[in-house]
Amino acid sequence: MAVELSQFHDAFFEEAYESLDAMEAALLQLDVGSPDADTVNTVFRVAHSIKGGAGMFGFTEIASFTHTLETLLDELRGNRMQVTSHILDLLLKSVDVLRGMLKAVQKKTPIDQQGVADLQFDLELVVAQKGAAPAAPALAAPTAAAPEPAAVAPEASAAAERPAGRRWRIELRPGAGLLARGNDPLRMLAELHELGDVTVTSDFGSLPALADLDPEHCHMTWSLELVSEVDREVIEQVFEWAEGDCELSISELNAAGTAQPAAAAAQAPAASAEPLAAPEAPAAPAAPAAPAAAATPIESARTAGGDSSSIRVSIEKIDELMNTVGEIVITQSMLSQLGTRIDGDVADRMRSGLSQLERNVRELQESVMRVRMLPISFVFSRFPRLVRDLSQRLGKQIELKITGEQTELDKTVLEKIGDPLVHLVRNSIDHGVEKPDVRLAAGKGAVGTVHLDACHKGGSITVEVSDDGNGLNRERILEKARSRGLVGANDVLTDEAIHDLIFLPGFSTAEQTTDVSGRGVGMDVVRRNIKELGGAIEVKSEPGKGSRFIITLPLTLAIVDGQTVAVGDEHYIVPLTAIVESLQLKPGAASHLAGGGGEVFSFRGDYLPVIRLHEVFSVAPRNRELHAGLVMVVEGDGRRVGLFVDDLEGQQQVVIKSMESNYRRVEGVSGATITGEGTVALILDIPGLVRVAGRQRAAA
Amino acid sequence: MTAANSLAKTAEGRQAESRQVLTFTLGDETYGVDILRVQEIRGWSPVTRIPQSPVHVLGVLNLRGSIVPIVDMRVRFSLEKAEFTPLTVIIVLSVKSAQGMREFGIVVDSVSDVIDIEAGSLKDAPDVGSHASAEHIQGLATVAERMVILLDLDRLMAVDLASAEPQPLVANG
Repeated sequence: MAVELSQFHDAFFEEAYESLDAMEAALLQLDVGSPDADTVNTVFRVAHSIKGGAGMFGFTEIASFTHTLETLLDELRGNRMQVTSHILDLLLKSVDVLRGMLKAVQKKTPIDQQGVADLQFDLELVVAQKGAAPAAPALAAPTAAAPEPAAVAPEASAAAERPAGRRWRIELRPGAGLLARGNDPLRMLAELHELGDVTVTSDFGSLPALADLDPEHCHMTWSLELVSEVDREVIEQVFEWAEGDCELSISELNAAGTAQPAAAAAQAPAASAEPLAAPEAPAAPAAPAAPAAAATPIESARTAGGDSSSIRVSIEKIDELMNTVGEIVITQSMLSQLGTRIDGDVADRMRSGLSQLERNVRELQESVMRVRMLPISFVFSRFPRLVRDLSQRLGKQIELKITGEQTELDKTVLEKIGDPLVHLVRNSIDHGVEKPDVRLAAGKGAVGTVHLDACHKGGSITVEVSDDGNGLNRERILEKARSRGLVGANDVLTDEAIHDLIFLPGFSTAEQTTDVSGRGVGMDVVRRNIKELGGAIEVKSEPGKGSRFIITLPLTLAIVDGQTVAVGDEHYIVPLTAIVESLQLKPGAASHLAGGGGEVFSFRGDYLPVIRLHEVFSVAPRNRELHAGLVMVVEGDGRRVGLFVDDLEGQQQVVIKSMESNYRRVEGVSGATITGEGTVALILDIPGLVRVAGRQRAAA
Repeated sequence: MTAANSLAKTAEGRQAESRQVLTFTLGDETYGVDILRVQEIRGWSPVTRIPQSPVHVLGVLNLRGSIVPIVDMRVRFSLEKAEFTPLTVIIVLSVKSAQGMREFGIVVDSVSDVIDIEAGSLKDAPDVGSHASAEHIQGLATVAERMVILLDLDRLMAVDLASAEPQPLVANG
């Protein structure tokens, strides 16, 4: 049977990257000196699953590296070694190296062999030196008794706490045909677990060599202890379907069997001792996995349900769902209109049904929109590592505070906000927070704080990066701006205006550029990225007290607030964010520039060019006289123009649909939407429109 | 390209013996498209015009939430433009493009029939430099003494789907 494994590669990579993120997060939580057993276990599990996957797909370099990593983690897990900051650094580096390897394998580029070998050597060295740094006995003692505390100990202790129940001993020895007849031992064990507390001991004694393994044959046997009030029949019922396919013995232990749970508990560590021993005999690298996973089938069944369960769905499917919901909304509004015209005795019931439908449809639409939303923690989670690395390198002590990480926003916005945030946080660490001695001299605590916060405010989301550092240096910004001729020598600027200067291209006040920040490419890019998302950024700063960068973003890119305008028989939608003002010109208010320069009109002291939408899009307008229609002052790419249209219609939120993915890119149009009447309306792209108009004028 | 070749190239031509074709008329001619490519047939309804589009692209239409461009086949094949009446028909087709499957609507005079075309009866179009250049034609078939022109949709629509460069307007002197 030849299975094309490469079809699963994407899934492996995706999972591996996610696992690494989880591993990194867990490592950052790890306290040097007093590691939390659960956290160490999480890290170990991640390394182990990557190793398994890599081995299966034949990525031997990754498998070999993770194996070394796993050996070290296993020492830590078994408390035979202590987590030192050196080890923590190595582990974090391993995450980076693994990411690099995964990327290299995924893109089929060569792996950085040297880097991998170096780190692998360091890892092996640490393990080899473990004798020199014996594990703290205080730590070893409590956990050594139950190396798999999560897996077994709670079961045993739970059993001990409730001696009241009857104790059953169940021996299950599956026969050859058990699996073939569709019986799943795991399901039976899970069912037993619902009856009461179960202690499971698995026996792998009859497990054949891999070559002889028949996957349709169950080679394991179990001996179970159940503490429960149920009768024998109830237990027998669990195995009802497997009758004849397995050897089953059920016996009741006497009430005085208090010695029994102790025995079971003693047995359990024996089972889990196997994986711990295995790495010391690396000849059997696959061995630790199977028993560890299999020894706790019930445990895993239980956690699977307890975890926040989620499924992977492609964006395409969600878009289809949104399309269909959009259609339902249109049909519903058509029905509502019809409903008002109905008379007779059913009319009332009809109308109440319709209004209920309307409510449900709205809720449905909102739910579908919410499917696209993800918590901002997806972006925030990369910062603990960044802050740790940077502050170490710069010799600063910084505490990162994260709040509001559950705030949800659209996936597309989420993907694009990461880089600007990284930039802001770097800036805060590099320029904002001072070194400990400077802080102490200024009467602050030695440890600086960088705070990341996200929250919903009305229809938008606010993300704030703040620090308690020195704040923006007003004088230096001003000096720099003057030397570059951005500000006149005698201009008096408000604080806000000065702070705003840092967003100008090529503006950096860092005395020396570091590899962290200060190269002058930065804040202008941050602002541009955020503007592209339809958001805004502002900065507030107090000298000596710190600065705050406040980013406002739309919740989603899938919806835009738009103003419908009419030109002739056509309707277009102008994004509200682009509109400055709409006005009706008096006759003669616009004048023609000489030499075919087009029309201009006066708007608050400036002369703005007029763009006639009907000319740009060549449609027949209702009016050709400027004073007969309306001029809408719009802004795009920092330029203001007057857009001449026939009339303004309603304002509404519209769902944006791409033109490119349905037809092709059209200049001056950013997308399309479906109106309440079921027709298509184009959404205008103001900067594009200005470009088209400029070209047309040049050609005229 | 031989007829057998062109058949082999269409994955839909699962039955090598015969295939089903939806025929429609444009002026005096009968055209055919692979029935498996037909998504829907609907009556004419006004479309939303798209600026800076070729003349034969009438605009876009909302089809159950997707935005579908509509092409006037008469203009596309340089036939005399006809008035749109409630009887004018739009055939919505799926077309393979470089970016994946796309939906496209074509406006035709009327839909005629679904016919079976034997693989053997499909002939290459003679190269006569006709108005609808031969590359859009998969082959010619004779059904009930009428000639049916089988269209190669993917090639026909490729031009319109290609992301157009901003068309340089004629520079002034």
